[in-house]
This record gives sequence, C-alpha cells and structure tokens, in this order.
Amino acid sequence: MPRFLHTADWQMGRSYSRFDIEDGAALVEARFAGIEKLAELANEHQCDAVLVAGDVFDAQTVSDRTIRRVFNATKGFEGPWVMLPGNHDAALAESVWTRALRLGAVPDNVHLALQPGVVPLEAQGLAVLCAPLTQRHTYGDLTEPFSHYETPDDLLRIGLAHGSVQGLLSDDIDATNPIALDRAEVSRLDYLALGDWHGTKQVNERTWYSGTHEAERFRNNDAGNALIVEITGPGATPSVTQVVTGRYQWHQWRETLAVKSDLEELLDRLEALPDASVVDLRLEGAVTLAGEERLLEALSVAEARFRSIQCDRSKLQLEPTEDDLSELHADGYVGEVIGELRQRQQEQQSEEARDALAILASLLKGRAQEGGQ
Amino acid sequence: MILQSLRIEQLRQFRNPFVLGNLQPGLNLIHGPNESGKSTLVRAIRAAFFERYRSTAVDDLRPWGDSAAAPTVALEFENQGELWRLTKSFLQRKRCDLTIGTSSFSEDEAEEKLAELLGYQYPKRGASKAEHWGIPGLLWVEQGTGQDLEQSVEHAGDHLKSALNSLVGEVASSGGDEVIEAVRAQRNHILTGTGKPRGEYLQLDKDRLAFEQTIGELKERILRYQEQVDRLGKLTREYERTEVERPWEDAQRLLDEAQARFQQVLQLEQVQAQEKATLDQLQQSRRLLEQNKEYQENLSRQLAARKLDLDKAEADLQRLELQSPATTERLRAAREAYESAEQRMKQARLREARSRLEQDVKRLEQRAQQLSQNLAKAGEYQQQVENARQQARENRIDAAEVKRLKVAEHQLNEATIRSSAIATRFSWNLEPERSITLNDDALQNRGEQQLLDESRVVIPGVGTLGITPGGESLASTRRKLATLQQTVSELRASLGVDSVTSAENRLSDFEKAERAQQHAQELLKSVAPAGIDPLVVEQREAKRELENATEKLATTPNSDTSIDVPDLATAEAAFEQTASALTAAESDDQKHRTALMAVQQTRDTAKAEWQRLVDQEQSPERQQQLKQIAEELVAIEQKTKALEERLEARSREILEARPDLLKQDIERYQSTIRNLRQTQEDRGRELRDIKVRLEAWGAEGLDEQLNEQEAELERCNRRYQELHRRAQALELLLTLLTEKRQALTRRLQAPLQRHLDHYLSVLFPHATLEVDEHLRPGTFTRGAELGQVTELSFGAREQMGLISRLAYADLLREAGRPTLVILDDTLVHSDEERLDDMKRILFDAATRHQILLFTCHPEKWQDLGVPPVDIQALKA
Repeated sequence: MPRFLHTADWQMGRSYSRFDIEDGAALVEARFAGIEKLAELANEHQCDAVLVAGDVFDAQTVSDRTIRRVFNATKGFEGPWVMLPGNHDAALAESVWTRALRLGAVPDNVHLALQPGVVPLEAQGLAVLCAPLTQRHTYGDLTEPFSHYETPDDLLRIGLAHGSVQGLLSDDIDATNPIALDRAEVSRLDYLALGDWHGTKQVNERTWYSGTHEAERFRNNDAGNALIVEITGPGATPSVTQVVTGRYQWHQWRETLAVKSDLEELLDRLEALPDASVVDLRLEGAVTLAGEERLLEALSVAEARFRSIQCDRSKLQLEPTEDDLSELHADGYVGEVIGELRQRQQEQQSEEARDALAILASLLKGRAQEGGQ
Repeated sequence: MILQSLRIEQLRQFRNPFVLGNLQPGLNLIHGPNESGKSTLVRAIRAAFFERYRSTAVDDLRPWGDSAAAPTVALEFENQGELWRLTKSFLQRKRCDLTIGTSSFSEDEAEEKLAELLGYQYPKRGASKAEHWGIPGLLWVEQGTGQDLEQSVEHAGDHLKSALNSLVGEVASSGGDEVIEAVRAQRNHILTGTGKPRGEYLQLDKDRLAFEQTIGELKERILRYQEQVDRLGKLTREYERTEVERPWEDAQRLLDEAQARFQQVLQLEQVQAQEKATLDQLQQSRRLLEQNKEYQENLSRQLAARKLDLDKAEADLQRLELQSPATTERLRAAREAYESAEQRMKQARLREARSRLEQDVKRLEQRAQQLSQNLAKAGEYQQQVENARQQARENRIDAAEVKRLKVAEHQLNEATIRSSAIATRFSWNLEPERSITLNDDALQNRGEQQLLDESRVVIPGVGTLGITPGGESLASTRRKLATLQQTVSELRASLGVDSVTSAENRLSDFEKAERAQQHAQELLKSVAPAGIDPLVVEQREAKRELENATEKLATTPNSDTSIDVPDLATAEAAFEQTASALTAAESDDQKHRTALMAVQQTRDTAKAEWQRLVDQEQSPERQQQLKQIAEELVAIEQKTKALEERLEARSREILEARPDLLKQDIERYQSTIRNLRQTQEDRGRELRDIKVRLEAWGAEGLDEQLNEQEAELERCNRRYQELHRRAQALELLLTLLTEKRQALTRRLQAPLQRHLDHYLSVLFPHATLEVDEHLRPGTFTRGAELGQVTELSFGAREQMGLISRLAYADLLREAGRPTLVILDDTLVHSDEERLDDMKRILFDAATRHQILLFTCHPEKWQDLGVPPVDIQALKA
C-alpha cells in the first residue's frame, strides 16, 4: 500500500524585504526547518517517498550555501525524494540543479527530474511521471506526454507537475505553464501531484496542489501544509491527508477603529494569536490620545511576542478628547496649534497633521509628566 | 513697590552708616555733587538685589584700603501691603536676611524671593551682569545708558512677557517656547535650516540611490546570466545534434567522389598531353621532311638559273669581243691625228720666232738712227742755250726796281710841279754881266727860281737879301721833294742807269734773252730729256741690241717650206683637240678591256657553278633520297590523322567532365568540412567558456543577492518614508507653532503700545512709535519721517528710551508687578523745552510709580515739584 508525501513550492533562497533583517532571517530559517519537518513527517507517516512538485528554489542563482542547506535538510528522510524543476528553478542548460550536481550536494536518494519522463520507484511501487519545466515559461501543457508514458501495471502512475490547472484558479496565477483539468483521468494517473499554487487545494479526487510548506506571504490561502497520499493499488481512489508543516501564521488585518470597543476587540484578537505569527495591521478611523497610547503599548508588547508585527496607522486619525488635552496642559498658542492640527486632520485627511499632532502630544506629555514628577 | 529707606555701611566712601530715609511714593530727587556718593547709593541698591551675598566679585563695594570691611546694605520697601526688610552684607561678613511681613528668609532663599518678586536672575558665578538683570535692568537706568533700550528689553523678555500674559488674560502657553525649541531641535535633527534632509534622512536618500544602483547592476548581471544560460541551452542542443548528425562526413563523402572524378580527368589530361606531344613530334618530322624535299626540288631550279646566268655571261663576252677591233682602230686614228697636229704646231712655232727676230732687228736699227739724230740736235740746242744765257747775263736788271724808279720819278715830277706852284718865285733879270748870288749860286741874266727854303740873295755891292718862303705846306713839300729826289737818285745809281728810259730798255733786252734761253732749253729737252749724256748711253745700248738681234736672226733656221704650216694659234688649237681625242680613245679602250675581263670572269664562274649543279643533279643518291622522303611523308600523314582524331575525342571527354567545376567542388567541400568542424569546435569552446562563466556567476548567488539588496532597499525606503513623514510633520508643526506664537505676540503688543502712545503724545504730538514683535520700540514716524528709533539723535533716543521704560513700568504695574524706577543723572542731553516735556512725563509717571532721580544738577530739576534731598546734608 504505497504512501507518499506531496509537497511543493519551497521557494528556497527567497528573502523577506518587508521585514526587519532579524525577522526576515528567522523566516528564512523557518523554511529550512520546514524541510526538516517534512522529512520528519515522512518518517512519522511511514511514507515511501517524498514528491516535490516544483519551485524547490526561488531562483537559479541562489548561493551555494542555500543549495547545500536545502539538500542537507532532506537528510532526515532516507527514502527517495523526487524533485521537479518548476518555473523558478527550471531545468535550463545551466541551472540551480546543474550547480547542485556540480557541487556534489545532491544525496543519492534524491532524484532530480531534470528530463521529462518516468522516474520508476519500483521498490516503492511508484512510477513517477515527471513534467519538469525546461524553460522559464511554457505555453503548452507539459503533462500531455503523460498519456504516452507506459508504466508497469503493478506500479502506481503518479504525475508530478508544476503549473496552473486551466479554468480552475484565479487570474493571480500565471497563465503560463497550463495543465489540463482532466489530466489525471486522461493520462490514467492514480494521482497528480501539483505545485505552483501556494495554498493547499484539491482540484479533483486525484489532483491536488499541496501548497508551500511554510507560508511566505500574507495572502490567506491555506499555506504551510503537506499532503500524505495513500493509494491502495493502481486505480484506487487516493486517500489524501493534510498535515501542517508551517511554523508561522501570517495575518494581514485591515481594521477601522470607530468606537472605543473596536480598539479593545482588536487588541483581544491580537492577544489571541500564537507567538509564531507574522502580523500586518493597517488601521483606519480615529483614536483618542489615550487610545493611541494603549494601542502603542499593545503593539510594543506584540512586537516582543510575535515574529513580526507591522502596523500602518497613517490613516488612523488622532482625536484628542477634552481629557486628553487637559492632561497635556496645552494652553495658549500651543493649544491653538493642536486645534489647528485636529481640524486639518479631519478636513484634509492630512497625514502630516496627524503625525504633527502625535509629535506635539508626545512632547507635551513628556513635559506634563516631568512637571508632574 | 515703594522703597522706604536705604541704609549702607562700610561701603565705598560710606565707611560709617548712611541712611537715606523718608523716601516718598512718587518722585524723589536726590542730589549731590560729584564724588558725594550719589552713584554709590545707586550701586548699593543694585548690589542688594543683583549680587549674591556670597559673591567674591564685589570688591568694588569695599571702602578703599579696608580689607576687613563688610559692606552692608539694608533696604525697607513696601509691596502689596507687606513690608519687606532686606539686609545684605558682603565680603567679610556674607549674609542675607529678608523679612516679608512676619516671615523671615535668609541666604539663598531670601535672594530667590527677591529675584522672583522683581523678575531677574543671579549669575551662576561672579558679578551680576546686564543679562541677569531682567526687569530691574529695564527700569533702573544707569548713568549714560538711558538710550540703550534693546538689550535691556531682551534681558527682561520673559519677565515682561509673563507680565503681559497675565495682563491680557491670555495664556502664552506655559513653556510654549520650550515646545517650539524642542520641535525645532527635532526638526533640525532631520532637516537643515533651509529644509534639506540631513543626517540619517540624507544618508537614507543616498543609500536608496546606492541600493537602486546595486540592484540595477545585479539585475543586469542576472539578465546576462540568463542570456548566457539560454545561449548555453541553444549551443548544447546544436552541439549534440551536430555530434549525432556529423554533417562533415556527408561533405567528406562528396569530397572523395569529387576528388576521384577529378583524378580521372587529370589522367585523361595527362594522356592527352602525351599524345599532343607525339603529334607535335610528327608534325616536326613532317616539317623537316618537307624542308628536305623542298631543298631537293630547289636544286633543279638552281640549275636552270645557273644555266641562264651562264648563257648571259657568254653573250656578254661575245658582244664585247666583237667591239674590240673598232676600239683599237679608233685609238690608232686618234694617235695619228695627235702626232700630225704636234708636228704642225712645232713648225708654226719656229716660224713665229723668226719673224719676231726680224722685226726686232728692224726696230733696233730705227732706234739707233733716231738716237744719233737726237744727239746732233741736242748739241745744237745746247749752244743756243749758252748764247741766250750770255745775253741775259749782260742785261740783267731788276724789273721791280725799274718799276719803283719809274714810280719815284713820276712822284718827283708831280712833287716838283706842286712845289713850283706854291714856291716863292724868284725871278730875276739882271743886267748883263752883272750877277748876283742866290744862295751862293751866282745868278745872271734872267731867270726864275722857285724858292722853297730860306734863301739868301747876295747882290754884290748891295748886300744880302733874305728870302723866306711862307706857308707850312711849303716846308713839307720841300722835304718830300728832297726825299723823292734822294730816292730817284739812289735808284738810278743802283740800277746803273741814268734814266727811266734806259732802264726800261735794258729790261726789255733782258727779258728777250730770257725767253730765248727758255726756248732753247725746251728744244734740248725734247731731244734729250735726261740730258745729253744719257742719250749717248742710250745710243750705245741700242747699237748693241741691234747687234745681238742681228746675230740671233742669223742663227735661227728657216722653217720647212714643204709643209703647209698654219698660223701658230690654229696649230695649237688643233693640237689641243687631238690630244683630248686621244685621251678619250685611250680611256674607252681601257674600259673596254676591263669590261671584257670582268665578263670573262663572270662567264668562267657561272660555268663552274653550272657544271657543279649539273654534276649534283645527275647523282643517284639524290634520286633515292627524294623517293624516301615522299614515302615517309605519306606515313606521317596517316599517323597524324589518327592521332588528331583521338585527341579530339578525348578533349571532348575532358570538357564534358568540367574539371574547373570539379576543382571548385573540391574546394567547396573542403571548406564546408573545415567550417563545419570549426563551427562545432567553436561551439564546444563557447560551451566550455559559458559553462565556466556560469559556474563562476552561479556561485555568486546573484538572485539571492538581488533579493537581499531589494530587501535592504525596501527597508531603507520604509525608514526614509518614516523620516520623510516625520520631517513633514515637524515642519508643519514648527510652522504652526511659530505662526501662532507670532500672532500671540502681536496681541500682547497692544497694551504696551497704548502706554507708549500716552507718553509719546506729550513729547512728540502726532508722532507714532510702533512696538515690534520682541516688544521693543521699533518704527518711529513723525510727519513724513519714517525710521527706526536707533536712527534718531542721542538726545531723542534717550528720551524715547525713558518713555519706553516708563511704558514698560506702566505695563508691569497693570500686571500687578512691582515697579521701581531709578534714574541716575538722566536726560543730560535734553534741551530746555524737551526737558520740560520730560518733567511733565516724569511727574505723570510718578503718580503711578516710585521714581528715584539721582542728579548732580539739582537746579535743572527744581521745578519738579518735589523737595530735593541733599546727600551732603544727610551725611552731616
């Protein structure tokens, strides 16, 4: 009863521009750790093989170190790995794969499907029909030859491909590298393991996108999983189990604060998130000076707790209350300036005015506190 | 605030306690001469407030030479209903005590109270300076500084403003200026004075550019990397395909075929060339045979020609031999004629000579005869000449002398006649026998005599008579006459004649003889031109010649009379003619014989030639040869024809094989193979190169670098945007704060302006003085005048300064702040009229403030309406 692990889109070598260096490095590390996790899971679920459906590497010219580390990370699982070149790491004349081979970084149990064709894993009862990308983009269906690949009857026909299933996915996915929706059926595949879509997605009972093993963007598409596929024999319906591999959860929230409870709710939600979170907040609406202070405090706490939290408050207006103002002791012309800034903020939606108000408030607050001491 | 009393001790010249008490709430005029301690009092008040009691910088307070002194100032003043007592000692005894109502303060606390009350600061260390003096600095005017307002206002600034704040009921913002400064500091941290980025903000902007550039370069390199990868893919496919197809092998096969065919053609061409050579040889042989044949055939032609030559020579010889007798005959005849002509010419010459001799003899005979005759005549003529010469000798007379005589006689005659005409005629008729003498000449008878000279007549018996002819001409005539007579007689004498006639006769005879002689001489000359002697010689010569000629003739033979002898000229002409005829004949004969010999020679030669050829032609070898040649020619002809046919056929074959194209094909295939191999090798090399290059580039991890750089850029951008927003916010904030603050200041200016206008209307009606944003008097206008206070005259500035200070005092008073005005000898530069105005102003101000006016000119201020306090009097 062959069982294998289906994963894809590791995108190794990618770095994270939107985060601070430290956070970005940690997220990169997580992707390496994710591979180790896959190996662990493969062992844990007694998988016969691991199939990687393309985009192992994010680019052709990643560093030697990245290449070595990727293959090092597979060591936990000693069964066969089949890696398929995707659009990011296409099997060109000179590619990340040829470099890996030259470096001697590829372990014997890792099969690189650099040519279209069948990788027979007889011991595992699998015949892996591979459709590697040998160009950066193709406009024809590379899985079409699957129909002509003859495999021993006693082996499962497992397709391994990278591209977008036609008529299924939104326009976000490249229109290049198309794959026929009925490929599994037409080519008599027991299972078609796909890559390119970073979220876990079932196309039909024999066709799945595993998604990336570790999320790397905020688009919430159910990333950070792998699939354990079990097929009792040729022709049998596969049993697919989704397992979590990702470490970090990525959250992107767009919130509008109108009343006091909005802020409270937001803070509660933040608090509820696990530590291994990457959060991107964009706030709109208005907040009192006291509210802003509370928000900043909460963000400060979150920064320490989460892997990363970013908060865009430029659209969040400051609305000082009378209490706020009296607390600031903003008398005389300084008080007039505050009024002017509030007015500008409201009437002109001026970010400058908002920032200026925040600066002034913090200055006055500092002074008030000094005075109070 | 009303100062009530001032007490000082051990302070400068006031070694002993001195009290200035009983000070009034309004004006107090305190006066004393110089050195009286007026300024010391002012100094004491200032020291009491401004100087720290523990200050070591107040040595000036010490009485001169008293190092043990403890200068002390004690003040009492009322403020808002409370009495303030201040006692401050310096130097030796440093103390400060203050009681306010019932509360007591001392030391620093006391000093802080005072500073707070009046609005000034203490120096951190050392003596108090103008910048510490605050409001008192404005209201307490030191001697000679009344006009310098700006500094004082600036030092009093904050105190003034706080006073104003409370006055206009406006909050100037507590610490608003601090906020402004804080904002400005923050802004200046990011931006320069002119609003340009600085520091990190600026660096980020530069970094962004640097990152963008790096990214651009990386992208460029990645692009090149990808191009190289693509190139590698393409090349690899081509290389492998080529390795499989091995297209150069096809080319090689084609090349081999072409070369084989070309080789065949080459062989054909070789055979062709050999046969062509054979053909050439055949043709050469034929040419030789033909030449031989032609030679043989030539022999007969030559023989004929020789025969013709021989015949001609024979004919020539015969013709010449026939001509020979005629030629010989002509020669003999010519010789005969020549000899005959020669004979005749000799005879003619002989006869010619004889006849000439005969003529000579005859001529010579005649000549001899002639000469004899001439000689006879010559003797005769010679005689005649002698005779004539004798005759001439006898009658020789000079013809010219004769002529002269003749002329002289003629003249004498004329003179005699003339003298007798003029001479005194003396005539006489005497008795016979009787005589008289005239001039000793005895006169008788009768007679007449002309007297020309003084003459004497002696008459015997009678005496003597003197006669003197008269007239002058008589004398000259007499002289001339005498001269002429002299001349005539002399000529006669010389000529030897007695008269002219005889002379002329002689002359005629002479001339006749002369002529006869001449005639005879000419005759002589005609017969004997050279004289008689040569004639004799000539005659002798002629006789001898005659003898010779006669002898020669006798010896000359007579010519042959038998021969008809022509004259000599004819004979000579005939001889000449025959001589040339003979020469011509001889020449002809010579030529003829030469021609004959030449022709004989020619004939002999021709004959020999002919004979030789005849012999040759007739030889049997030649016949044999001719036959052989003909046979060989036929054989060669046949061979040539066969050969030519073969050549023609092969040539067509070669042409059809197109060896030029074959050659080109070979080159083409070779080139193709070379190119194909070269291309493949190049491909292999490029493949290796690209691989090496890509390996190197790949190892750099360009994409990862790009990722990182892009991340850096984004971070940089993010930070930049943050700073940018912050800069803009700060800029906005600063602008707003500054604007609001200025607006406030303008509101605060209003009350000060009001008080200022109050005093100004007294001093300069219709003038205005505007207060600027720093609460300083600024623009001054009076009628058409417009300018700053600082531009006014010293006096006017002092007056302006004072009214401004009074205005500040009013303002402070309104704000409930203590005001004490101290003026130390002020307004010394004001004229009488302006001083009067100022007095009114001071009096007016004194209704609101206590004013202490110190002066050394009390008389100027006596109309101030207050009793003056004399320091000197107080001292006493």
